[in-house]
Amino acid sequence: MTQQQQSKSGTSSFDQSSYSIRPDLVESHRKAWEAIGAPGTWLTAERRVAVAAEVRQARQCKFCRQIKEALSPYGVKGSHEHLGALSAPEIELIHRLVNDPGRLSEKWSRSVLDGGVSEGEYVEIVGIIASVSIMDTCTLALGLPDRALPAPGAGEPTRYRPPGARKKAAWLPIVEPPDVVESDGPMYPNPKASYIYRGLSMVPRSMRDYWAMANSHYLPGEIVYQFDKTIRAITRPQTELIAARVSALHQCAY
Amino acid sequence: MLRESSKISNDAVELSDVTRGLSDATGIANAEILVEFAEAVVQRDFPRVAVARKAVFDALGNDATVDTAAIIAGFHGFVRIADAIGIPYQTAARGEDAAELREQAGISAFYRVREQA
Repeated sequence: MTQQQQSKSGTSSFDQSSYSIRPDLVESHRKAWEAIGAPGTWLTAERRVAVAAEVRQARQCKFCRQIKEALSPYGVKGSHEHLGALSAPEIELIHRLVNDPGRLSEKWSRSVLDGGVSEGEYVEIVGIIASVSIMDTCTLALGLPDRALPAPGAGEPTRYRPPGARKKAAWLPIVEPPDVVESDGPMYPNPKASYIYRGLSMVPRSMRDYWAMANSHYLPGEIVYQFDKTIRAITRPQTELIAARVSALHQCAY
Repeated sequence: MLRESSKISNDAVELSDVTRGLSDATGIANAEILVEFAEAVVQRDFPRVAVARKAVFDALGNDATVDTAAIIAGFHGFVRIADAIGIPYQTAARGEDAAELREQAGISAFYRVREQA
């Protein structure tokens, strides 16, 4: 099999699993897919599902393969093989982030924004890409097909921008823990939340949806920095070795 | 995180194995089959994934196989958020990783390439 098949039923990511899957993992996938199929903060449900579909399409893109193999990722001429539902800068954001995340630059992120993607849309799209990447990789690792995409729900995006969102050290604005306001909703488990946790904070709902799902894969925030603890069936050093190796293969410190 | 957790458990770890691939200097139990599973999944090499997953299942059982798959998957998301939002790499591990440690692991080289681009 050279290409991941897609499940037809789609009621659960793990319907066809021959492994016994812990219930919190099953539930986290269910909720995350449900969220992807609902209207977001800046994107309609149709566009959110289109982003998820484009994430899968990007894995087959021949132009992305050429970019990945090139010494200079921005010198390759050509165009992405896409599904046609999203704008060119949205497609560029999705394809590069799926296939060559380790060589993105601030100049490139600015070009996506200058192409007409708002900061809120950019962050929301990144949240969907990261979520779909985790869930599809989890099913792939367990020998399962990609879950069928959800049907988009009705409704309008909320277009909520946290008043405390500011651009500082990162390329996109972030809400630092002291700048959280009540209208943002629940944000950080504690004021020392790591920078990676803050990454999607400009779109609070995306941040909440993402971490609710991601924590069921690695470790919940309250355990991450207690290095003698784990709640998984492998030891903490085994967990961290896998984590570090996967990050390194993506050329990333996180 | 790898260094700290290994210190506590007294497992030997060669940090450069993170970027160069596993060597005999890392003494974490079942490291070879776990890292092989992780590498196969990152490469999306389906036949290799199947073989690697079976090796983990045979050695460690159902729950460890599921948790290993989930952990591998989790780090397909974190890296994309960090890279797309431009989170400064010096803040990884809450900024507690010393520059020498990143150098030793070979991680700094990734970012030197980016800065030169």
